[in-house]
Amino acid sequence: MADAPLLSLDALSVTYATGRGPLAALQDVSLAIPKGGAMGLVGESGSGKSSVVLAILGLLGEGARVTAAAARFDGHDLFAEAPALRGRRIGVVFQDPSAALNPALTVGSQVAEPLVLHRGMSQEDAAARAVSLLSEVGLPRAEAVARAYPHQLSGGMKQRAVIAGALACEPDLLLLDEPTTALDVTVEAQILDLLEGLRKSRGLSLLLVSHNLGIVDRLCDDLTVLYAGRVVEQGPAEALLGVPSHPYTRGLLGALPRADRGRIGRLVPIPGGLPDLTQPDPGCNFRARCAFAEPACAAPQVLAPVRSGADASRLARCHKAGENLIWPVPDEAVRRHRGEGDILLAAEGLSRSFALGGLLGRLSFRNGIPRLAPQAEVRAVDGVTLSVRAGEVLGLVGESGCGKTTLGRLVLRLIASDSGTLRFAGELVPDKPGAAFRRRAQIVFQNPDSSLNPRKTVAEIIRRPVTLFGIARGAEADAEVDRLLELVRLSPAYRGRYPHQLSGGEKQRIGIARALASRPDFLVCDEAVSALDVSVQAAVLNLLDDLRDRLGVAYLFISHDIGVIAHVADRIAVMYRGKVVEEGPARAVLAPPYHPYTEALLSAVPLVGSSGRAAARIRLAGDVSSAAGAGGCPFAHRCPRRIGPVCDTVVPPVLEPKKGHRIACHLPLETLAAVPPALGWA
Amino acid sequence: MASYIARRLVAVLGVLWAMTLLIFGIVHLLPGNVAYMILGEYATADAIATLEARLGLNDPIYVQYWRWFTGLLGGDFGQSLVMDRPAGPLIAEALGRSAILAGISIVLVAIIGIALGIHSAVHKGTLSDRLLTLLQYFFIAVPEFFWCILLILFFAAWLGWLPATGYTPLAEGGLVGWGVHLILPVFTLVSGLIAHVSRLTRSSMLETLDSGYVLAARARGVPERLVLRRHALPNALLPTVTVLAVDVGILIGGIVVVETVFAYPGLGRLLIFAIENHDVPLLMAGMMVVTTVYAVANLVADILYAFLNPRIRYGRAAA
Amino acid sequence: MSGAVAVRRRAIPGALVWGGIIVGAIALLAVLGPWIVPYDPDAFSVRNRLQPPSGTFWFGTDEFGRDVFSRVLAGAHYSLAMGFGATALSLAFGIPLGLIAAFDRGWLSEAIMRAVDVLISVPPILLGLLVLAVTEPALWKTVVAVGLVYVPIMTRIVRAVGLGLLAEDFVQAARARGESAAWILAVDILPNAWPPIIVETALRITFAILLGSALSFLGLGAQPPASEWGLMIAESRPFIEQAPWIGLAPGLCLCILLIAVNLLGEGLRELLDPRLRGRG
Repeated sequence: MADAPLLSLDALSVTYATGRGPLAALQDVSLAIPKGGAMGLVGESGSGKSSVVLAILGLLGEGARVTAAAARFDGHDLFAEAPALRGRRIGVVFQDPSAALNPALTVGSQVAEPLVLHRGMSQEDAAARAVSLLSEVGLPRAEAVARAYPHQLSGGMKQRAVIAGALACEPDLLLLDEPTTALDVTVEAQILDLLEGLRKSRGLSLLLVSHNLGIVDRLCDDLTVLYAGRVVEQGPAEALLGVPSHPYTRGLLGALPRADRGRIGRLVPIPGGLPDLTQPDPGCNFRARCAFAEPACAAPQVLAPVRSGADASRLARCHKAGENLIWPVPDEAVRRHRGEGDILLAAEGLSRSFALGGLLGRLSFRNGIPRLAPQAEVRAVDGVTLSVRAGEVLGLVGESGCGKTTLGRLVLRLIASDSGTLRFAGELVPDKPGAAFRRRAQIVFQNPDSSLNPRKTVAEIIRRPVTLFGIARGAEADAEVDRLLELVRLSPAYRGRYPHQLSGGEKQRIGIARALASRPDFLVCDEAVSALDVSVQAAVLNLLDDLRDRLGVAYLFISHDIGVIAHVADRIAVMYRGKVVEEGPARAVLAPPYHPYTEALLSAVPLVGSSGRAAARIRLAGDVSSAAGAGGCPFAHRCPRRIGPVCDTVVPPVLEPKKGHRIACHLPLETLAAVPPALGWA
Repeated sequence: MASYIARRLVAVLGVLWAMTLLIFGIVHLLPGNVAYMILGEYATADAIATLEARLGLNDPIYVQYWRWFTGLLGGDFGQSLVMDRPAGPLIAEALGRSAILAGISIVLVAIIGIALGIHSAVHKGTLSDRLLTLLQYFFIAVPEFFWCILLILFFAAWLGWLPATGYTPLAEGGLVGWGVHLILPVFTLVSGLIAHVSRLTRSSMLETLDSGYVLAARARGVPERLVLRRHALPNALLPTVTVLAVDVGILIGGIVVVETVFAYPGLGRLLIFAIENHDVPLLMAGMMVVTTVYAVANLVADILYAFLNPRIRYGRAAA
Repeated sequence: MSGAVAVRRRAIPGALVWGGIIVGAIALLAVLGPWIVPYDPDAFSVRNRLQPPSGTFWFGTDEFGRDVFSRVLAGAHYSLAMGFGATALSLAFGIPLGLIAAFDRGWLSEAIMRAVDVLISVPPILLGLLVLAVTEPALWKTVVAVGLVYVPIMTRIVRAVGLGLLAEDFVQAARARGESAAWILAVDILPNAWPPIIVETALRITFAILLGSALSFLGLGAQPPASEWGLMIAESRPFIEQAPWIGLAPGLCLCILLIAVNLLGEGLRELLDPRLRGRG
């Protein structure tokens, strides 16, 4: 490496002024990106990774104090010249494309803006160039997109437009701050392909900030792992993820549920939470959570080569980094497959539509003549039939807007269905079910902040269902509360706390305890771990696993995360546009034959350590909102294996390659079975 | 967009129709005999009978309503009892004078309020921002009628610079004679509203400056003045438009007070006159006109909002 | 997700403290008024007509020789009654209506909201004028009129707050347990709905005092010889050059009260909901 790096940060520190004193968001962060190189910056929330991006751009605002021994960009002093580099030589893509585009301006004008400002182009030339940029990032009908306003585009299209804008002045470096986190997995795959292609075709350097190890592994040569404002490990991506050195990185990989490994063993959670950054620890700041901590860890740690001599590119901030550190696996659960029980919950032909707009909204005028448009509807759930056996976990997977949350509420009768029947333990469940059903079927929610009444203590929250359903009274009920707390691994000391005094993972445990308080047989887990960081998520997933084994509760486990679903589910149902397109035992669904949508979904999952997987990648065009015909297969409009008009107009037949594995598709089973595995295991 | 405007128009017409019911209902259905109310407690039975016949008060209530409602539609606003003239022209004349007050005021409120709000937001935390915030507190809290008294006391009574009350038509007094009668009323009307508008513009501007697209624009290397003008302002003004519409309602309240104090012969004073003299037909017609003006102002604000907001201007259809 | 538990205890804003102290002091004076006034506020005294402020008459006397200071003190309860009474009335109707409109998904909610649309389309002062025009003016009627004017606004706000809370997952959890609507309302909705409603209430009190005193000023509220501040200002107009103190004293007191209530509202907003924006 004779060339000087394009970007080099040396001992970058950022401190925010807060009400509780200065908060050390970044401490001595050093990294270097060579010309044409791609660096991944990985960390959980609160690690300070986004602060790095804003510090490079010089956009941290007034409350932040930025210092560095040196910060250079291609020979320039970065901090002195950041305003001149922004938009010209450094482009940025932020997480949420809906927020990054100005709702009041056309997409084209926002892409063209830097060309006019920095290149001195005329409006017309810039507009023409914007159109070609938009088509370069893979947007069809780029002229129309350029004329459109942001609200008229889907999330994936917006993110492509944002990328086009970032590329307008042909920058050398592209900063990507969680560029796909707000997107669905199939759209995420498109964007990652695009970025990969752009990197090759333009010789771009990338700094990719993400919490998702699979994404950085796909796109980056080098990785920097950030924990609570400090770099804990740095090195070539493949080697680092193959054999991580720092206990934190090791823990992170052990905590990650991986779609390609299916239901194996236990996840390894990292106990505890982030340290208080207003009181920076001079020693290792991970040691409170580390399984290998010893007195020596209280001494300041330096980022040093893992093994002296041989490979100087591997750095870790841990004096034990050279040792073979294996996180202790929590007790192996029994992991009985409980799918052999009786059918507990059976939904047949459940449908639910939602009306769009009120009476006045339907009124329109053509040539001055008023018309009342027919009531517009979205079919959120469209004739879904599925069943859950006692003690079984049915994973329900699908992208945003596919109707999985609505389905979860329908089977609990939290919203009324338009048609279809619901049976629970063999009995028909009426629209307004009685206490018996309510007691036996409960729910755990996604958002820990919204799921607990902020004015109630933990004990009050958990006690209510206990007394409501007559499970216990008085002192007995208090004992029951303690038992439930113990069940979700929280000490009785939590009884008197209020939700705002709990961390996200703790809130989620209370939510689970509340759901279990009525001793249900069936639990809907609606994205129950999606809001949590990987290290915390692993603990909650393990907990849910144990509870199933100990209590025999059946779950309808709803998630957009295929890794999580693959980890928890006995059976999997795949939903698209309100319909279940494939359903069957987990191993069968995750291997060919697939429904073409399942295939696309699985090949879109960014996996850790499978960079060579590119061979059989299936990519979908567009996204769920792309217009679809009515009557046929819901996936026909995006299906890469579409046969012809029959897909649009005729309801696909249900193929049954194995007993209990159902695929709704027009393609012959042989064709589907011949597809190569999308996950790397069959 | 056209359909949107048409929909709003339908809604406004619906509201106005409901207002005819409300106004008619309150006047005619509230306990108390209308003729008795007009004539007072010393009225003779004869006089009451005569008036009832004249106003058609003996007809069934729906016939009376229908007569009044169709009259309004046909431009017949009824007859003023006290002045014995058709209410329509009386109101039209007064409305014109009030419109001058209101028009000048709302334009001043919009321009000065928005400008001060933006200034405060951009210079958040500076001395001028703090000073403006302090002044806003003060100006929002002073009631209009007390302002009137203070201004008359100061500029008319002590300094003698401006006339305390009255009105001179443009044709008679010329621009100066006409204008001097407007200064104090307009100042009274705008002081509180400017404070209100500037405060809200400040907060919406601050919110916009904190948005993702402003950050993205800065990251694109857009210079700060362009960030403000092109990216922040159009979005920050959306809530201000709504606030201005609400403020028209407050302004109407202010006009009633201000015209009374400054003896300015506008619609507000006419309304108070009608109330004091129990001129029921004039009151009903005047109320209807004021409500219509307010409804139209809201309609204009809605259209302006839609024009500034592409989410309404263009539908959701994907490109 | 931060593991470090942040126990937030917001400091009490200064605006709340000062606003509270001033409003409290005025309320105290209003209550103690009858016992501490130096003179009978309604007693004529031809000898002492239009006296300027002095050691004897702190705020001077009016055209009937009544002591302005005593009258101002005795008048404080009118403004407070109008502000708090009318707002209480708007809450008494607005909260139930708003909650019904939030809970109900059928015609009842539709009917309430359409009625609110209509009433909100009338400038507030006109609705007050209309009600007061057809009956003989009296203070209690002003209070009722002003209260009714703000019912639709309260209804709208309570409904918005209610809808927001109904969408929260803890309410969904309660429904999943089969809790009754009454329980959800009492335990999950109302305790969490208070902060925004309290902030709005403080704002409404300011507007109610303003509107009520304006109506009195126009002769449609309190009637002579009441020493309501708006009415006192109206009555002082003929003597504005001769004896400005007659109008200035109640006017300044009114301003102080309004600023204090404003401060109180601002402080409550800061304390309870930093994101809520003010409305007209």
